[in-house]
Amino acid sequence: MTSVVAPGAPSIRSSRRHGGALLQFLRYVAVQVGQAAVALLGVTTAVFFALRLSGDPARLLASENATAVDIENLRRQLGLDQPVWRQYLDYLGGLLHGDLGFSYVQHQPVLTLIGQRMPYTINLAVAALVLTAVFGISVGFIMALSRGGWAERVLMPLVVVGQAMPVFWVGILLVLFFSVTLQLLPSTGSGGLISLVLPAITLASHSTATVARVTRGAVLEQLSRDYVRTARSKGVGTFRLVWRHLLRNVSIPIVTLLALEVANLLGGAVITELIFAWPGIGQLTEQSLTARDFPVVQGIVILSAAIYIAVNLLADIIYGVIDPRTTVSEKGATG
Amino acid sequence: VSWRTPMSVVAVATLAVLTGCSTGGAGPTGTGTTSLVADLGGYPATFDPGLQYDTDSYSVYRNIYDQLLHRDAKTNEVVPWLATEWKQTAPTTWTFAIRDNVKFSDGAPLTADDVAFSIRRILDPKFASQQNSNFSAIASVAAQGQTLTIKTKAPSPTLLSFLTTLSVVPKAYLEKVGNEAFNQKPIGSGPYAVASTIAGAEVVLKRNDSWWGKAPAIQTVTFRAVPEVASRIADLQSGKAQIATALTPDSAQQIKGNSSLQVLSTPTERVAYLAFNTINGGATNDPAVRKAISLGIDYQSLIDGLQNGYAKPVNSVLTPLATGYPKSLPNYTYKQAEAKALVQQSGKAGQTVVMATSPAFSSQIVQAIQANLQAIGLKVKIQNYDQAAYLKKVQSPDHSWGAVRFGQWSCSCLDADGVAYPLFHTGSIWSSYTNPKFDTLVEKARNTIDAAQRDQLYEQAYRILNTDLPGIGLFQIETIYGASSKLQWKPDAQQSFFVADMSLSS
Repeated sequence: MTSVVAPGAPSIRSSRRHGGALLQFLRYVAVQVGQAAVALLGVTTAVFFALRLSGDPARLLASENATAVDIENLRRQLGLDQPVWRQYLDYLGGLLHGDLGFSYVQHQPVLTLIGQRMPYTINLAVAALVLTAVFGISVGFIMALSRGGWAERVLMPLVVVGQAMPVFWVGILLVLFFSVTLQLLPSTGSGGLISLVLPAITLASHSTATVARVTRGAVLEQLSRDYVRTARSKGVGTFRLVWRHLLRNVSIPIVTLLALEVANLLGGAVITELIFAWPGIGQLTEQSLTARDFPVVQGIVILSAAIYIAVNLLADIIYGVIDPRTTVSEKGATG
Repeated sequence: VSWRTPMSVVAVATLAVLTGCSTGGAGPTGTGTTSLVADLGGYPATFDPGLQYDTDSYSVYRNIYDQLLHRDAKTNEVVPWLATEWKQTAPTTWTFAIRDNVKFSDGAPLTADDVAFSIRRILDPKFASQQNSNFSAIASVAAQGQTLTIKTKAPSPTLLSFLTTLSVVPKAYLEKVGNEAFNQKPIGSGPYAVASTIAGAEVVLKRNDSWWGKAPAIQTVTFRAVPEVASRIADLQSGKAQIATALTPDSAQQIKGNSSLQVLSTPTERVAYLAFNTINGGATNDPAVRKAISLGIDYQSLIDGLQNGYAKPVNSVLTPLATGYPKSLPNYTYKQAEAKALVQQSGKAGQTVVMATSPAFSSQIVQAIQANLQAIGLKVKIQNYDQAAYLKKVQSPDHSWGAVRFGQWSCSCLDADGVAYPLFHTGSIWSSYTNPKFDTLVEKARNTIDAAQRDQLYEQAYRILNTDLPGIGLFQIETIYGASSKLQWKPDAQQSFFVADMSLSS
């Protein structure tokens, strides 16, 4: 039985199975959380050992006049003279108690450092995600609905440019135009909403273009479906068509993409934060990686992995809400 | 991270192309005559002056604390600061008289005991201070009232020099709150005190009106962390900042055309150099090849073309600012034909030499050197590591890092000892060279107090270096600041960023 259920109609199957649904859902969540824990342990292990292969923080910390003995002393104080497996077990032990360690360079607990910077990165990522969703989806719809028309001809090159331009290039152009030439918006800094504008646009530029392109493709695919033709022949207007029918049917690929873009937004934040002197996690990552501040880098990577996993878990659950045909049991079974 | 370099180059180039049409209206709008915004390359790693002394931390915290000694900004002579006078009472004993009536910003008086404490904590291995090696000549410190006595392990000619970098912290407060809390909420006796901070973004300092010195003109200074040089330039152009540190020679060109901005630069004690692997470097084990390379470098082009003139020629791996600079030695010369002939004679023509580098060093300079060496008949393979991996490689005791490396050296001590010893003494972590005669000379110089005698020893030592050529000096690096033309300030060789010396005209 292939389900050709009209979009928006409640699924008969899922309502019939209502009693077992909660149990199924809980089992699904348990499996997902278990997988997430394994993934996190994998990430922790990989970043821990990879960092230790990449260079010696004691050498970077030591002054230029330092002797081998000075460096050895620094290493001992940082605990880097211990066998790696021992350092690893100690670190895992700390993690279990919620202790992410102490920064070699900044002499503060890692959790404090991340806590200070996290709000900035979240603000920036959320602002960029909102811009991406609003502009990406609407531009995608406009391009699809005006296929071959002037709107598409204007927007398409912009989308291509948005995808092709590196983030730092977009950022520097925006600064030159809005800050240096027009003197409208601050060139760098993090004081208030006004200083969020340029970084958010910069960060969103690439994702917006990607979402627009995918939305356009998805809408075009739907437009050729029978139900659209039927709706149109019944005299349903474009607005109602989009709102009542198309939006829901194209939302699965878009939600998937947006969830993936969260990772890109967090990753792209490194460059954006550097250009705009935005004191978020991205800047902290760059500083700490350059200085081989192992505990900070580990903390950031583990936390980012946790966020990424959580967002994708959330996306999985949203599928079920958007489209009841995608019941959790099916998702749980298929992956 | 390796993408930073190309990214900065493109960003600066973009600014160069696009600001041509925008300089007219752009200019600092000014935030009043008594507050200053300064863009640094990064947020200070710590406010505890016993720990880090990277340029960004140093630029901020040296305004919060007083140092035991200072250097005169013009002559570089060591001059009184917290210590009003000092005497060497025995070859290894020094006494310092500490200024009366100096108070920390919490009201506690500053005594010799605070100075002794500040030194002892740096020397404590458990504190793991990055500056430990700068003060490791010190055997013991004692305080009595306002008198400080320092005993060194051996006669130490560089002691005073390093004491100009010693910022004094309040013992009582620190013992009460501990290192971690002190780093969060630092208290000093200097001309400014911390008013507020936003982690990773900015530090606001307010003038300390009970400071003992002449009241500074600037009341409030905001240090901002702006990692990208192109963004720092944009901040100057849009008037968001009145001074920006660590500009590159390229970026300095851009503010030159802007009448409301100025470039401030000064030669520093940082020397750009090439070091050779004379032990395990392949072709560079041969002194003739090293000689050929020293003749094959187009020194003046590096200075004019790549540093845009923000550099000065040198005659050794040292700068003329340092004690012990061998004035009598001739500058290096560029003689390409002679260099080529030497490579031919040595039988090393066409051999590959590996050049180790990291993104910390200008890739343009590294490539220019590569081109110079290839022009005299060597093949050059550039091996790019990131800084951590580079250090691991270069400092590994098996000398397997390659044949040639470009570097930039500053000991923050204005003394030949801080350059010749760590770079070339047998067994130093940076050294891939050995010569017992050279070793004896620099060992003797490091324990000689008499200035004239030291000059003589270093002249002999550097003469050996310029014969053996385990390294060559390329140029003396200038530090470059961009500033509003309203700012009055003269940068000094130590890259001190003393806001108390700055003023803004309206």
